Amino acid sequence: MSEIGISVPNVNVRGPEVPRTIEALDPVFTVSNLSVFYGDYEAVRGVDMTIGNREITAMIGPSGCGKSTVLRCFNRMNDLIPGARAVGEILYHDENLYGDHVDPIEVRRRIGMVFQKPNPFPKSIYDNIAYGPRVNGIKGNMDEIVEEALTKAALWDEVKDKIKQNALSLSGGQQQRLCIARAIAVKPDVILMDEPCSALDPIATTKIEDLMQELTRDYTIVIVTHNMQQAARVSDRTAFFTAEVDGAGVRHGRLVEFDETSRIFTNPSDKRTEDYITGRFG
Amino acid sequence: MSAQHRTTVPGTRGSLARSRPRYGEFVVKAVLLTAAMVSVATTIGIVIALLEPTVEFFAAVSIGEFFGSTDWGPLFNPPAFGVWPLIVATVEITLIAVVVAVPLGLAAAIYLSEYASHRTRKIFKPVLEVLAGVPTVVFGFFALTFVTPLFRNLFPFLDLEAKNALAAGLLVGVMIIPIVASLSEDSMAAVPNGLREGSYALGASKMLTSVRVVVPAAFSGIVAAIILAISRAAGETMIVAIAGGFKSVFTLYPGNEMSTMAAFIAQAGSGDASVGSIAYKTIFAVGSLLFVITFAMNYLSARMVQKYREVYD
Ligand SMILES: Nc1ncnc2c1ncn2[C@@H]1O[C@H](COP(=O)(O)OP(=O)(O)O)[C@@H](O)[C@H]1O
Ligand SMILES: [Mg+2]
Repeated sequence: MSEIGISVPNVNVRGPEVPRTIEALDPVFTVSNLSVFYGDYEAVRGVDMTIGNREITAMIGPSGCGKSTVLRCFNRMNDLIPGARAVGEILYHDENLYGDHVDPIEVRRRIGMVFQKPNPFPKSIYDNIAYGPRVNGIKGNMDEIVEEALTKAALWDEVKDKIKQNALSLSGGQQQRLCIARAIAVKPDVILMDEPCSALDPIATTKIEDLMQELTRDYTIVIVTHNMQQAARVSDRTAFFTAEVDGAGVRHGRLVEFDETSRIFTNPSDKRTEDYITGRFG
Repeated sequence: MSAQHRTTVPGTRGSLARSRPRYGEFVVKAVLLTAAMVSVATTIGIVIALLEPTVEFFAAVSIGEFFGSTDWGPLFNPPAFGVWPLIVATVEITLIAVVVAVPLGLAAAIYLSEYASHRTRKIFKPVLEVLAGVPTVVFGFFALTFVTPLFRNLFPFLDLEAKNALAAGLLVGVMIIPIVASLSEDSMAAVPNGLREGSYALGASKMLTSVRVVVPAAFSGIVAAIILAISRAAGETMIVAIAGGFKSVFTLYPGNEMSTMAAFIAQAGSGDASVGSIAYKTIFAVGSLLFVITFAMNYLSARMVQKYREVYD
């Protein structure tokens, strides 16, 4: 990461109309005192944050500070890692996401995810999109569902003539938009994105960022990003994580500051946030 | 063997030139090359050894009779050379074996690759490999002395002969389960985890993820495993010789005794066919046929494996 041009006036931050409050007004997720363990290792300690409805929330911070770990709690993806365990509470709307009665499969149907490395299935473009609706038993005209999802992901015009071709023949950026379309096709409530642009070139990145702006009308988005300008450009709120070493010499991810993006990038209240966004981190 | 006792003490001063000649390196290379040559030379030797008597056989017996008749009895008088009874027996026993081994082997592979915990996998895989190491003569006697009598008691309407294709096929199937399971498991384990995560993230269960994402992604590797297993089944000798029998009457019913190509070769080869006789040459003609069939299948399997390697590059 070279020059980090966070000179305040140039930053295109959305929503000055959002009130200046740390808490999202209409939270989709309310995280309280969340700690995540991999076996005995406490990777993330004591996170409190809220994810606002129809907002884009960015999670930034140096690598290894637990951003992905926290993100993967929101759709219980960490359940798939043997030994991984979340302690604390995450409310999804008003339901405890880790409650006994909760089915992680149902959670993942409502809370979609896009990964760092585009991971289309080695099937046709059509079958990639149709996969989610099919496994979830969604009824309806599959051709329409596919077209709608691809249109929403701004990919339809590029692929409508080769819908039966293998998805792996698409470019990296197209593959990532296909993965977004695939997530949209099951009509989720929330879309989680873990560094969705880190494997893409700047033009493809811009396309995905524009797409996120579009999608935020219908979906709540949480994005982990390495790119602070990206967080500044697209998000409404930003959570800054870092790793702290405790008394025993063990590193834990901590949430340092969580606020409106405009505030984080112009007037952070924590020295560490300021150091990080001005590139003096270290 | 390759242990080279280079006793250079770190920190001691000296020229950077090699301090002593590395004979070991040369020896290792020579040994490895010889080993590679031996297997290539053996294959070529087999082809040559098969070819000559085969050509002589077809000088005496027309290809039309060989492939155009269902009458087999090269050791009878007058001899008959219609190879179809052997082909039918081989195909039938192979089919029965495949019907047994593919579902069980695939299920085992899916279990090992997708469901089993690290610990269970560590116990199960060696067990599977032990099964692959059981001498086939054991399977043969098991089929003859246990499976066939059991089936005759349980299913008298099958009208099984004491030796029959069904029991032989079932045990050949058991024999090839480890091939199907182990190779399929390898190719399923090679499927990138990102694909599984992509599936789970869409709300798919483990079962759907295994069946609709992992298995299709590993498909060409699985097909290669199955083809390899088929060619092992087609060439299996001991089980079919013991439990399938040698009778080469043309029949389609698997409850009957039948002789496969491999069983015929074993029988005729251990008999007293004198070198140069037509019966002797017949062994080689049938051997060539079996060789061509299994070679073609192995080639197909290798091509499949290659294709599957390319999928994620
Ligand atoms: N599957 C795992 N098993 C054990 N430790 C893990 C696992 N995934 C991540 N970690 C550890 O948790 C910490 C946070 O990782 P991660 O959430 O991936 O960070 P980030 O996404 O911010 O780079 C790191 O120390 C990492 O090594
Ligand atoms: Mg990460």
